[in-house]
Amino acid sequence: MIRRLVAALALLATLPAAAQQAPSGRLVLYTSQPQADAQATIDAFRRVHPNVEVTFTRDGTTQLMNRLQAEFVANAPQPDVLLIADAMTMETLKRDNRLQPYAGARVEGLPAGSHDAEKTYFATKLITTGIVYNRAAPMKPESWADLLKPEARGQVIMPSPLFSGAAAIHMGAISRQQGLGWAWFEGLKANGAQAARGNPAVLEAVAGGQKLYGVIVDFMAIRARERGSPVEFVFPREGATFVTEPVAILRTARNAPAARAFVDFVLSAGGQALAAQQGMLPALASVTPPQGFPNLANVRLMPAPVAELLGTDERDKERFADLFGR
Amino acid sequence: VSVAAPALAGRERLWLFALAAAIGAISLWPLARLVYEAVAPRGGGFDLSIAERALSAPATWRAAWRTFETSVAGTAISMLLGIGFALAVALTDIRAKAALVFVFVLPLVVPSQIAALAWMNMAGPQSALMGAFGLAPPPGSPNPMLGREGIAWLLGLEHAPLVFLAVRAGLRALPREAIEAARGCGANRAIVARTIVLPLMAPAILAGALLAFVSSVGNFGTPALLGIPAGYNTLVTLIYQRLAGFGTSVLAQAATLSAVIGAFALIVLWLHARARAATDARLSAGAPPEPWRMGQARLPLEIFLWGGLILISVVPFVALFAQALVPAIGVTLSFETLTWRGFSGAFAQDAVARAFGNSFLLAGIASSICVAVALPLAYFVAWRRSALVRAIDTLVELPYALPGIVLAIATILVFIRPLPILGVSIYGTLWIIGLAYVARFLVLALRPIGAAFAQLDPALDEAAAAAGAGFGRRLRDVALPMVAPAAGAGAILVFLTALNELTVSALLWSSGSETLGVIVFSLQEGGDSPLAAAVSILAIAVVVMLMLALTLLAKRLPKGTLPWAG
Repeated sequence: MIRRLVAALALLATLPAAAQQAPSGRLVLYTSQPQADAQATIDAFRRVHPNVEVTFTRDGTTQLMNRLQAEFVANAPQPDVLLIADAMTMETLKRDNRLQPYAGARVEGLPAGSHDAEKTYFATKLITTGIVYNRAAPMKPESWADLLKPEARGQVIMPSPLFSGAAAIHMGAISRQQGLGWAWFEGLKANGAQAARGNPAVLEAVAGGQKLYGVIVDFMAIRARERGSPVEFVFPREGATFVTEPVAILRTARNAPAARAFVDFVLSAGGQALAAQQGMLPALASVTPPQGFPNLANVRLMPAPVAELLGTDERDKERFADLFGR
Repeated sequence: VSVAAPALAGRERLWLFALAAAIGAISLWPLARLVYEAVAPRGGGFDLSIAERALSAPATWRAAWRTFETSVAGTAISMLLGIGFALAVALTDIRAKAALVFVFVLPLVVPSQIAALAWMNMAGPQSALMGAFGLAPPPGSPNPMLGREGIAWLLGLEHAPLVFLAVRAGLRALPREAIEAARGCGANRAIVARTIVLPLMAPAILAGALLAFVSSVGNFGTPALLGIPAGYNTLVTLIYQRLAGFGTSVLAQAATLSAVIGAFALIVLWLHARARAATDARLSAGAPPEPWRMGQARLPLEIFLWGGLILISVVPFVALFAQALVPAIGVTLSFETLTWRGFSGAFAQDAVARAFGNSFLLAGIASSICVAVALPLAYFVAWRRSALVRAIDTLVELPYALPGIVLAIATILVFIRPLPILGVSIYGTLWIIGLAYVARFLVLALRPIGAAFAQLDPALDEAAAAAGAGFGRRLRDVALPMVAPAAGAGAILVFLTALNELTVSALLWSSGSETLGVIVFSLQEGGDSPLAAAVSILAIAVVVMLMLALTLLAKRLPKGTLPWAG
């Protein structure tokens, strides 16, 4: 009798702990963060949740989606959680009913509109796309249109939307912008511009001096400049395009508790501070932005019509590939 | 006194069957499965539609042409360098030949992705080294190493030692009588070289060239670093990019393409074997010819050889070192900019530290298992030849001789499903890489140990057997002490080859099981070239130290164990 009582008491004592048991097990992440950043994010996450084993696959967003689509077809999607460049890709996944809502996500303090109303994905940062140039360049570009000038002939490189999610959004925003449009891309082609695999390849080319001008995400260029690379980053006059690096949980996630813990982590003050420390603009306004960024109030942003792009993305990418080969 | 191979005792037969089964499981089964996948994809029936689509795609043909043109040009460069160097080393009286040869064959142990990185960092406008002397191309000029010419040049450099070794082996067996007769008839050296030496060397040259060609076709590191950024794909990088981009859903297509590469490589390897046989048959192994006295021309020749070697084998790695010492890409090396961040930062990253750990572990495991398997196997190959032993002996060559991508895809196909009986899957873990390494590098351990066995008198073993010692006991107490130096050399050869392996691990790794080769490649691709350079420098340092250790061991090894020594 006494033994049974003790057992019941012991069971009772474990109940609250069981209800909020620390997440554990294996968590599979697909991310478009650079290798070192992804690693740092995971390391910081594991300091909070040491029982979760994280394995991740890193590639450009568009590339990752190719892989994920193939896994959907084979009925074996691998990742639990996605941390990829842009909201449009997330919208596509949401439309196909691939995402799992997380009603309990802490979105206080995040700017309105930075997360999905149905809470399937959440913005984690603000990453703009602008112009990087090598300090040896004869012209200091100030606008997207400057890249069409004769001084930039054969010297422009940009990430391909077939690899990078930020580049896909960039293409969508620019191609629908008054005064730029597809004519801008055709002008670049005529001016001998090249498409590279992704943003790191653009940095490599411009900082290394193989090209003088590049289209690139802000943090890579600014971080390289802070470390001493001979480059400058410009927010173009017409407006910088931007992505929000959203995080989302797949409906097919095998370890939903750990996935939710990961979402909580990247949205937390600690996760946001890490983003700032990595040289990216955090989504949480209360976190100090990293060194080297101008006051965002002075930067003009060019929003992408996400809803409209959803239907045309494939065709746009083909059009880009026709022009630049990849 | 050697006797005909006696019938195998029951215990020995058991050993042999166990070896055959193990080697069959990791080598023959995957390769057979690959061929099966190409003609009957996805476990369905006979269906050539995927193969047909893969083979009729324009991208495939473009990549095939690029593979061909870079390999042919690379082979031509290898022949030029390899033959020239072999003639100088084998026929003349230049000094310090051992040191010259050591430097010339360095590319055999320096992984091609690191060589490619070194050349990019030397020749491009970002060159931290050339920039320090104001010699770098001006900003805005392309990197001359990217694309077709760079790939061909590097393939040529990397495989020149293969041609050199084949030709030198031939030159050593050159009949001195023929040369002396010609000289006696008044022919000068140029005529002797043209009319006697080169024609006699034709089979050796052909053998070396075919080997260089097949190695170029299967090379991954060079076109991956110099071709992918320029959008210039060879067949191997095309398969890699498809698999990396689309995951295992394109496995059937990849299987088809790699089966085709494998079949092509087999044909070239068969021709190579015939050319080698012809080399051995036509030449006597009498006294080698007297070295030609170069007299006044000796010093200029030595300066030319050393200068050329330093330019192509040393300067690129100094440039790589310089790149590891600058804080960010595009910075020129100077006393103000010099930083050790690349080296300290390398280990601050978990993935890099893990890659070092993984690669050392994999290389250690692969070399121990390879030696443990090669030891009994060499016993059978040297002393108990039978049809089965000969078949195994040929089979262990295949995974090493065929392009790495063929083995990688074959291994994925077999091990993507859980293992039978055990029910666990090794796909996505370190162990699948280890298994592929054992299959691929077993022959590197088998050859030196086999050569050591062949020099021993089997009478010792027979005496031990007559005294009642079992097979395991005889291996341990009789054979092992005598072949120990060769086994050690085999272990080091496997270790240093596996340490920087890229082609196989690039397809088999997943997060957590990254290798040194993979981490260099992904750091460079992720835009962190100072870090990639630092990791490369550390990796090379280990390899060159191991190579020096082997050289010190050379005197106790069977002749020909170390290509660069003796």
